[in-house]
Amino acid sequence: MAFVLGAMVAAAAASLLGALVRGRRSRATVGSVVAAQEAPANAADTPSGPDYEVVLNALPLGVVLATADGTVIFRNRVAVSVVGLRHVDLLVDAAVDRLIRQTLDTGEAKTERLELFGPPPRVLIVSTVELVARFCLAVIEDISERSRIDSVRTDFVANISHELKTPVGALSLLAETLQGETDPAVIAQLSSQMIKEAHRMSDTIDDLLELSKIELDAPLRQNNIDLAALVREAVERHSRAAAANGVTIATEVSDSRFVVTGDRTQLLSAVSNLIDNAIKYSEPEDTVSVRLYREPGKIVIAVDDEGIGIPPADLDRIFERFYRVDKARGRGTGGTGLGLSIVRHIMANHGGEVNVASQEGEGSSFRLILPMQIGDNQ
Amino acid sequence: MEELRKGFHGEINDVRQRLATLAASVIEAIPRATNVLLASDLEGAEYLILTDDEIDARSLELEDRCYRLLALQAPVAGELRQLIAILKMIGEIERSADLTVNIAKAARRIYGHNLDPKLRGIISKMGDQAQQLFAAALEAFETDDVAKASALDDMDSFLDALQRQFIEAIFECNLAGTIDLQVAIQLAVVARFYERIGDHAVNIGERILYAVNGWRPELTGAARHKARLTGDDTDGIPLPEVGQGF
Repeated sequence: MAFVLGAMVAAAAASLLGALVRGRRSRATVGSVVAAQEAPANAADTPSGPDYEVVLNALPLGVVLATADGTVIFRNRVAVSVVGLRHVDLLVDAAVDRLIRQTLDTGEAKTERLELFGPPPRVLIVSTVELVARFCLAVIEDISERSRIDSVRTDFVANISHELKTPVGALSLLAETLQGETDPAVIAQLSSQMIKEAHRMSDTIDDLLELSKIELDAPLRQNNIDLAALVREAVERHSRAAAANGVTIATEVSDSRFVVTGDRTQLLSAVSNLIDNAIKYSEPEDTVSVRLYREPGKIVIAVDDEGIGIPPADLDRIFERFYRVDKARGRGTGGTGLGLSIVRHIMANHGGEVNVASQEGEGSSFRLILPMQIGDNQ
Repeated sequence: MEELRKGFHGEINDVRQRLATLAASVIEAIPRATNVLLASDLEGAEYLILTDDEIDARSLELEDRCYRLLALQAPVAGELRQLIAILKMIGEIERSADLTVNIAKAARRIYGHNLDPKLRGIISKMGDQAQQLFAAALEAFETDDVAKASALDDMDSFLDALQRQFIEAIFECNLAGTIDLQVAIQLAVVARFYERIGDHAVNIGERILYAVNGWRPELTGAARHKARLTGDDTDGIPLPEVGQGF
């Protein structure tokens, strides 16, 4: 696909070049250029098609044309501002300029991958090729999204292997040790460890099944749900864990009715997941605040904590399956790494969304946003 | 009227463009350095060190071009001020790139130590602020925006405040035993590096002011000094003859 697109760009650029060289830039049209190639003398009289400049401007790629001395004579719309961040655009321009000169010097096509930090991070491919009469064409392709998906896929495979294989490996080792053991105290310790690993494995499988059930977009059990009651129930469920960690949960639910139609079990699971995380990542004496309130056209359940927060680089990725901010899994907070992924899918099933804001060392704020349903919300 | 010295003006524009690209490399290097520090990214540290060598080479090349233009084109007035300002800005940018390398090297020294989330949060903020300052300096330079260039000093005070906040947080963490003394010292130095990057951005702003209207920050001090010498009690204001060069 990229090759075909590249060939088309080269053909369009060559045609535009032909028109530019003949000094008819403003009238370089598909019809006129094709006719110009076939019968140059009558080119001006042929019926006009779309302007080649318009064609190149419509492309999602950056296209730059340079003369034999490296002077840029044409940039399409994308190439004028590839990313929209001034410093990134300058660095892209510098790379394009460098590659054009290398191609003009050697006559060889060049390709370079630019990984720019931004923020936001961008991955671009810049390719240059020599055209007729020592003109040079540069094409800039933004592959940031493709690159992001690739890294999500790679990380997913690595993470799922880790999450599934670790308890299996531990079980196997513990069983081997148990085999020749006669001391009852050691046997008790090993078997208790085995039970813990088996539970961990079971939790992961349960969450995977729950996630796949939600992902299948199975018809939701449609009930009218009183969100105030649901939030209170979720808070109640975690009050013991919070007290054990020395964390206070402050609930703020107004007396107004907040009713949505949806699957109560799923929504309760979403709110519970967020409260569970907030408690886990808080320090003793911190407060987790759970609020239910209205914004124009929507109902918001906000769970804020004063915990360790999430690094900016991880914020976009925490809803991925098995993604861990703590790559070494050193904090020992437990969990399967699927909780936030489940939350995201539940919200999607309810026509809503989940978003997060966080500052490391200051805490995180998760917001479940549900569309307001007319009628029952006063 | 036909433009005189078209080639020379083209050269100046090219020099300006190259300086902007040099500054862009530093704007790109700042978040990279922050990431190296926060993610203990040794490969990223190596990349920054290599990039700095390239920035050094480009700085020298640009400096030589400015000297050549000064020697061969005998610029006057605004064009002379512009070239002088660019020469000084090259130094500010090159030094800022060195500071990002210093951050990366500090990250290597504290490799393997976990940083308290509070410290990580402030480092992240300092990195963002230093990058924003440099980006604002670049914008002011490209558009000759005197107002923006003047505002850089105010923007920098936020970074200075973050540095102070960071030092306090380091003491707290050290007292709480979450970081040892060696790491605390390295982090204090890192905070200083960010603060200096901010100062260099402010200096770029001052060079922009000089290029556009001839103002130099040292004028105020020089005027005070002259007033002291002459026994003038007006606190040196105004003293138009001082620093009115080109």
